[in-house]
Amino acid sequence: MIEISGVSQVFQTSGRQSHLALSNISLTIQDGAFVSILGPSGCGKSTLLYIVGGFVAPSQGTTRVKGKAITGPGPDRGPVFQEFALFPWKSVLGNVMYGPRQQGVSSAEAEAQSRQLIEMVGLKGFEHFYPKELSGGMKQRVALARTLAYHPAVLLMDEPFGALDAHTRTRLQNDLLNIWERDRKTVLFVTHSVEEAVFLSDKVVVMTRSPGRIKRIIDIDLPRPRRRAELLLDPHYQKYVVDIEGMIDDTSEDELHP
Amino acid sequence: MKGRVLTSDVLLGIAPIALMIAVWQALISFGYAPATLLPPPGQVFMRLVRQLGNNEYQQDIAATLFRLFAGFAIAVVLGVGIGLAAAASPAVNAVVRPIVRVLAPLPKVALYPALLLLLGFGHESKITLVVADALFPILLSTYYGASMVEQKLIWSAMAAGTPPRQILFKVVLPAAMPSVLTGCRIGLVISCIVVFLAEMITSTDGLGHVLVTAARTFRAVDMFVPLITISLLGLILNGLLQWLRSYLLRGFPEV
Repeated sequence: MIEISGVSQVFQTSGRQSHLALSNISLTIQDGAFVSILGPSGCGKSTLLYIVGGFVAPSQGTTRVKGKAITGPGPDRGPVFQEFALFPWKSVLGNVMYGPRQQGVSSAEAEAQSRQLIEMVGLKGFEHFYPKELSGGMKQRVALARTLAYHPAVLLMDEPFGALDAHTRTRLQNDLLNIWERDRKTVLFVTHSVEEAVFLSDKVVVMTRSPGRIKRIIDIDLPRPRRRAELLLDPHYQKYVVDIEGMIDDTSEDELHP
Repeated sequence: MKGRVLTSDVLLGIAPIALMIAVWQALISFGYAPATLLPPPGQVFMRLVRQLGNNEYQQDIAATLFRLFAGFAIAVVLGVGIGLAAAASPAVNAVVRPIVRVLAPLPKVALYPALLLLLGFGHESKITLVVADALFPILLSTYYGASMVEQKLIWSAMAAGTPPRQILFKVVLPAAMPSVLTGCRIGLVISCIVVFLAEMITSTDGLGHVLVTAARTFRAVDMFVPLITISLLGLILNGLLQWLRSYLLRGFPEV
């Protein structure tokens, strides 16, 4: 369980002014839930993810994972970034093996596990390629495998498919769901795509634009496992998408007429 | 296809050098420079080949190479070390930055007389001068490279369980490697220049010394031989570094 309580984040801007990025966020995420944080760009949704990751300390408030206060990054929370952030000096295999090796797993064991994960994300045969030799979609598959390799209980996904073309994006969404169905990790998924959030999530947290506040939390009551072709025709899915898009629009109006 | 592109590049690269040699020959052939002062290239190359087989000349090459390597190696260790430390720690940066600003623009060769008095005429004074000159480009490019490492690479490693004190060597240094190696390349060229210069000013051996001795006794051909030798050495060393670079950076884009 992830408990975020009363979290605010203030940034100092260059002009000695302070900018309130997140305002009083409280949110509880159950184990095994797939939760999306949805909001316009600049609403601080990525910052919230970085706070849970322990990469950024909040100005106010506390975050706990399984009852333990977060003081820094840890292998129980694995990030996947939009920018992939693969180690360019390591091959695909080297990238995926990095986590297990850091966790003290023997080289042979880490390699065996990593090869399995690489196969699972559909990149068998690419083990010795370097990230620069892969397409964006393939890079993100490697990044996902690299994170899964150290068995985090929570996946923190920061607009992971935001830099990909529509086709690749759809395929990766499907593959992510298939992988998630196997072990049902807790996923915190930041996105600005309403369809993506509804398609993937159990819960969608809609945020307002700066300062980021939680506007609404919507339970997505759609059957799993989800099949994209069925879902797109499902009126319930369509209603969720339309309703949430309306909320996002409202958020933008607020911004225009403060 | 790639092989053909490479050959045409090599040909394009050789053309200006060939042109330079042709101009050199023409200056003599058309009587603009007397052959006693500016010897024809053919004669110089013949002498070079002969000298390369000469034991005494080989020892001069060895002396120069030793100083060059020792100085360059120390500059790499110090430059990368200090550059990384400054990028990692604001306190170190606060100490290093003013020193670098004061010392970097200083013509290091001006320190040479003092170094001679302090360290004598042997290897030490020359190696120190090489270090002093080669250090700054390596230090600065390491510092900037290490400061610009993508934050999310570091976060990815920390989440995977890398302790903060290992981040420097496991992530920052490898990620900064392209700019570290660019600094090294500049440092190597500077090392070649400086070691030769130091030997020209005051030395009892080395290629720079050979040149100065030949000039003082009006042996024009022998004057050009060490010049060509040092540029050939520079070419070979740069080639080796380039090879090392393409190996170390094989995963990086645009190398």
